[in-house]
Amino acid sequence: MTLLQTEGLTKRFGGLVAVDHVDLGIERGETRAIIGPNGAGKSTCINLITGLLEPTEGTVTFDSEDITHLEPYETVQRGMAKSFQTASIFPSMTVEENVKIAAFAAEHGSFQLNFLRDREKFPAVNAVVDEMLGAVQLSDSRDLEVGSLPYGDKRRLEIAIALAAEPELLLMDEPTAGMSPEETQSTVDLVEDLQEELGLTIVLVEHDMEIIFRVADRITVLNRGSVIAEGSPDEVQGDPQVQEAYLGGVEL
Amino acid sequence: MSEAPTDTAAAEGPARTDGGTVTASDAGGSGTALERLVELSKRESVVVIGSAIALLALPVLLIDVLGFVSTLLFGSTKLAGYEGLSALVLAFAIAVIGFDILLGYTELLSFGHAAFFGVAAYTAGIVSTQVSANPLVMVFIGIVVTAPLAVVIGFLSIRRSGVYFAVLTLTFGQMLYFYALGPGAWLTGGANGLTDLQADPLFGFALSDTLQDIYFDMTGSLLLDVPFARLSVEYLLLAAFTLAAIWLAYRIINSPYGLILSAIGENEQRVDFVGLDVFRYKLMAFVISAMFAGAGGALFAVHERIAGIYPGTLYWITSGDFVIMAVLGGTGSIAGPFLGALVFEYISNVVSSLSFVLFTGPLKGIFGEFTLNFGSIWRLVLGGVFVLVVAKFPDGIRGAISSAVEAADGRLTGSGGGGSAADSEVDVDPDPEPETDGGATERPASRDEETGGERR
Repeated sequence: MTLLQTEGLTKRFGGLVAVDHVDLGIERGETRAIIGPNGAGKSTCINLITGLLEPTEGTVTFDSEDITHLEPYETVQRGMAKSFQTASIFPSMTVEENVKIAAFAAEHGSFQLNFLRDREKFPAVNAVVDEMLGAVQLSDSRDLEVGSLPYGDKRRLEIAIALAAEPELLLMDEPTAGMSPEETQSTVDLVEDLQEELGLTIVLVEHDMEIIFRVADRITVLNRGSVIAEGSPDEVQGDPQVQEAYLGGVEL
Repeated sequence: MSEAPTDTAAAEGPARTDGGTVTASDAGGSGTALERLVELSKRESVVVIGSAIALLALPVLLIDVLGFVSTLLFGSTKLAGYEGLSALVLAFAIAVIGFDILLGYTELLSFGHAAFFGVAAYTAGIVSTQVSANPLVMVFIGIVVTAPLAVVIGFLSIRRSGVYFAVLTLTFGQMLYFYALGPGAWLTGGANGLTDLQADPLFGFALSDTLQDIYFDMTGSLLLDVPFARLSVEYLLLAAFTLAAIWLAYRIINSPYGLILSAIGENEQRVDFVGLDVFRYKLMAFVISAMFAGAGGALFAVHERIAGIYPGTLYWITSGDFVIMAVLGGTGSIAGPFLGALVFEYISNVVSSLSFVLFTGPLKGIFGEFTLNFGSIWRLVLGGVFVLVVAKFPDGIRGAISSAVEAADGRLTGSGGGGSAADSEVDVDPDPEPETDGGATERPASRDEETGGERR
C-alpha cells in the first residue's frame, strides 16, 4: 500500500527547473533511498514533500490525503517527520527538553492553550520522552545541555526529536553526514533497529553508497531534477543511465 | 539557615533525583547550600511569598534605606525615592515582565508595546469618567481592550521576522500616537492630555489613604511610626496586580509555553518541523505580553490620575524604554525586568532631580561657581549605566547580582566550583543510606577539602 505519492512534482526557481515532474511512490514499511549527484534536486524534493517549499506544479499525497499545500507543522502532524542534515536542535536546552518539545507536539497537536499548566505534569509526554531517549541511547545524557554534546550524539538527538513526533514516515536528510566511521556504524544500526521496532517507513537521502546498499529496499536516482532510475539496489547498480550520471563521481 | 533547606531537600529530593545526591550535597558547605537556595527559589510558593515580601519592602528600600545611605554620604536625603516612585516602578515592571515573555523567551523584539500601554492607560482614563471610576473596573477594561488590539497588530506583524517585525510594530504604535495627538483629540484631549480622571475609593478606602490614615480613622489612635504604615491603598493595589503578574508569568514560563516559546527563539524552523504551529504560539506570546503591557498602562493611569494621561505614553520612546528596561535588568527571567524597571525609573525620577555644586573652596576662585544639574542629562546617565552593565553582564543587573553572589559564595567556601564538583562526584557514588545524617555530613566535609586542594 502506498503511503506517500508525488505526481508530476515540479519546482522552478526562475528559469531553473530544480525538480521536474517527479512521480515518487513510497510503500508502507519500505526504506527508500534517494540518491543523485550534487544539485540533482534531492533536498528540494524533500522540501516540497514536507511543505517547506510550495511546488510549482504537481501534487503530494500522504496516506490518501492531498498535502500539497500544507505547512511543515501540518505535514508533521499527519505523520511525516524529518531529521535534518545538520543537527537542527535547541542548543541551550537540555537533551530532555529538546525531545519534550516534539513530544508536546505529538501528544497535544499543533497548538494548545495550556499556558498556565505545569509542564512537568503531563505523564503521557514524559513517557514519550523516556521512550525516545531510550531508543537513541541518550537516557544518561538527559540533563546535559545539548550544545556540549559530541557531534554523533547531537545527530542521534536529532533523530530522537524526529521520532518523538511519532511519525509513520521518517525523512532523513543525510543522517551520517560528517560522522566518524564508528558514529556512522552506530547510526546505521539505529536506523535498522528503528525500522524493525517502530515499523517506520523511511526515506533516506544519502551519499554513502555502502550505507544505501545496506539499508535501502529500493533506490530512486535523481539527476537534474528528474527520476532517471528506480528499483532494487542491484537493478539500479547495473543501470547504464545511472553510471552515466555518476561518471567520475561515486563508484557504484 | 542550612536546617530548613536540608529538611525540604530530604523531603523533595527523591522525587526529582536520587535522595543520596541531594541530601549529601546539601550538607556539603555553603557552596551547595547556595545551590539548594537557588533550587528553592524556583518553587512557585517561594516565588509568590518572596515577591510579596519584596513588594512590601520596595517603598521602604527606596525611601528609608536609600534616604539613610544618602544622609550618611551627602548629609541630605536627595538620593532617596519618594512616595509615588514605587507605584510608578510597579506599573512599568508589570509591562516589562510581560514584554520579556516576548523578547527574552520568544526572542521577538517589539518596538510598539507603547501602543498597548498607552491604549490601556487612555481606556482606563476614559472609563473612569464615562463608565465607572472603580479602579478595578478601569484596570479590567484597560486590559481587556488590549487583547483584540494585540491580535490585529500581532497578526499583521508576526508574519515578518527580525527588523521587519520590529519596524511594523513600531509603525502601528506611531499610528496610534499620532491619532491620539491629532484626529483623536476629541477622545484623548490631544496634546493637552486626558486630565479629568476619576478614581473612586477602593473597598471604601481612598486610593491616597495610607495604612496609618485608615488605622487612625478606625481607632482614633496612631499606628507605630514604622515605614509600612506609610503604604498607600494605591500602592497596595499596584502591588497586588504586580504579584498577580509575577505569578502569571511564573506559570507561563513553567508551562509548555515556556519551553515552546524558548524553542521558537532558538530555532524556529525546528519547532515548525516537530509539528507545532509557530505562528499561533508567537501570536499568543504577543497577545499575552500586550495584556501585561495593558495592565501596566491601566495601573499607570490610576497612578497618574491627577497629572493625567498624555500622548507620550503611546510614543515610540516609551516602547524603547520597555526594551531598555528588559535588557538592563536581564531578559529571560522575571526578576530581571523588575530590576530593570526599578533602576530605570529611579534614574529617570531621582537622579534627574539631582544637582551638585562643583568647584567649591579655592577652585571656586579659579573657575567660578558651577552647578552640575542632572535634570537635562538623565538619559545620558541612564545610557552610561546601560552600557556599563550590559557590556560587562549580558544578563543585565540580574546577571551581575548572581555573579556577585556566586563570587561571594566561592570566597566563603574557599573554592568557586567546589559545590558542583562535589555534586558530580556524588552522582557516580550514590549514598547507600541517604537519610542518615551522620554519613551525609561527614562525607562532603572531606570532599570539600579534596576539591579545594585540587583547585589550588
